[in-house]
Amino acid sequence: MVERLSFYLERNSPLHRLNPTTKLVVAFTLILVAFLGRGLFLPSLIFLLILAPLSFLGQVGREFLRTTLNLLLPLFAFLFVMQSLFYPGGKTVLFGFWIFAVKLEGVRFAFLTATRVLVMVSSFLLLLLTTHPGVLLLDLTQRGLPASVAYILASTLQIIPQMQAKAATILDAQRSRGLDTSGSLGRRIRALLPLVGPLVFGSLVDVEERAIAIEARGFRSSRPKTSLVEIEDRPLERALRWLCLLAFILALGSHLWP
Amino acid sequence: MRVCVENVHFEYPGGVKALRGVSLIIEPGERVAIVGQNGAGKTTLVKHLNGLLRPTQGQVIIGDWDTSQVEVHRLAQRVGYVFQNPDDQLFCRTVAEEVAFGPRNLGYAPERVHQLVEEALYLAELTDKAEINPYDLSPSWRKMVALASVIAMDTPIVIFDEPTTGQDARTIRRIEHMIEALRQRGKTILTITHDIDFCAENFERVVVMGQGQVLADGPKERILGMVEVLAQTYVEPPQLTRLGMQLGFETTVCTPAQFLETLRRRLGHYRANGLGRSEN
Repeated sequence: MVERLSFYLERNSPLHRLNPTTKLVVAFTLILVAFLGRGLFLPSLIFLLILAPLSFLGQVGREFLRTTLNLLLPLFAFLFVMQSLFYPGGKTVLFGFWIFAVKLEGVRFAFLTATRVLVMVSSFLLLLLTTHPGVLLLDLTQRGLPASVAYILASTLQIIPQMQAKAATILDAQRSRGLDTSGSLGRRIRALLPLVGPLVFGSLVDVEERAIAIEARGFRSSRPKTSLVEIEDRPLERALRWLCLLAFILALGSHLWP
Repeated sequence: MRVCVENVHFEYPGGVKALRGVSLIIEPGERVAIVGQNGAGKTTLVKHLNGLLRPTQGQVIIGDWDTSQVEVHRLAQRVGYVFQNPDDQLFCRTVAEEVAFGPRNLGYAPERVHQLVEEALYLAELTDKAEINPYDLSPSWRKMVALASVIAMDTPIVIFDEPTTGQDARTIRRIEHMIEALRQRGKTILTITHDIDFCAENFERVVVMGQGQVLADGPKERILGMVEVLAQTYVEPPQLTRLGMQLGFETTVCTPAQFLETLRRRLGHYRANGLGRSEN
């Protein structure tokens, strides 16, 4: 079975062809602007006018919206209920029922927080949907990110699906030996040991083997490395990144302005 | 206990059709080898026999149980399944405890568990290693521990998933002894294997799979001679069988004994009638 190792969806879109670092810089800039900038509707406008159209340009619109909603709807529901009812210092009562009163300040605060989180999560999601993690890390290492840091990032991204697959195999093997994983809590806890033992041991063996495999390919060699994959970086994108820096400075300025 | 697979289709979530209409009846005490290219559906098929997978269409019946109605841990009373990688199941501190895990799960009385463990350790040649931690053993001995841990469950049906992969000749010999002992006890044995010599020497029936279907099924003397069918799923007849074919033997030979027997007959024939004339 092929396990999906990341969010990445292969499409042929202008967004996919963009340099990964450009996308990373844009994502960070949008988040910083959303958190630093002023205006109640700034983050929601960033989402509606920039991120959502970009996701359709990248041909991942449907997955983008679905995943974003799935991830954030429960959080938003909780946020609105809590803040609109219990925001400290709320005075303007919109409507009340029983012992509760919904206050305007709380709703505003919840809206701003929710849309900021929305920008944060969705801009990273868009980056991950349209960028192969390997290409992103390769580009960053070519720009001077230490290879060991890239390895740590890549392995943390990949370890969860790998361990899931391994855990599923172990679970199958032990159930085949009559292990009952259903029933009372005590029984389930007792059923954990036969699963955790092989999982932990096997994962340690895997890590060691992977370390040997990459070392055999000169991982720690200090010479400059060439790469088979060439990642495009057009002058226009460089300009875009400077533009991002400018947007960040403007947002910071507006934040610090009295 | 009879195994009955009726027109089973199986599709993995994600849309891969791994089985497309497999039907198979395995009588008690049969020794069956399943061969075929990677991705032919062999593992998917045997995972249906102990309920790890449930057919999307069709039925699998073990004795009088429909696998889609019975939980895996209950089916373990009837079907033992040795996974390919022993490290996916070993967790106890000693070999003996590891081997006792299965029979204990099945709820056997302590005396019976003790007796089954002793016997399984003996069959796996592990008696002198009973108190060792499995992870202190070499990979090939860990494989034997995994085998022992399943045969100790005393199920009427035993499945091995590629038991000889990566093992040296001595370990393969040990596995062969174990299979012979299980045969004498009347167990049904199913093996997935790419080791065609192992298949030819230890099993009587061969099921050839390709693209989720059974391409051929029958006694090994018939199946291992079907060069074209086997080639469809990237399996070659054993070297000895091919040699027999090149020598013009009219029967398919699978084992050294069969080869020698046929050769002796032929030589006798030549001696009587002179070289160059055929037997017929």
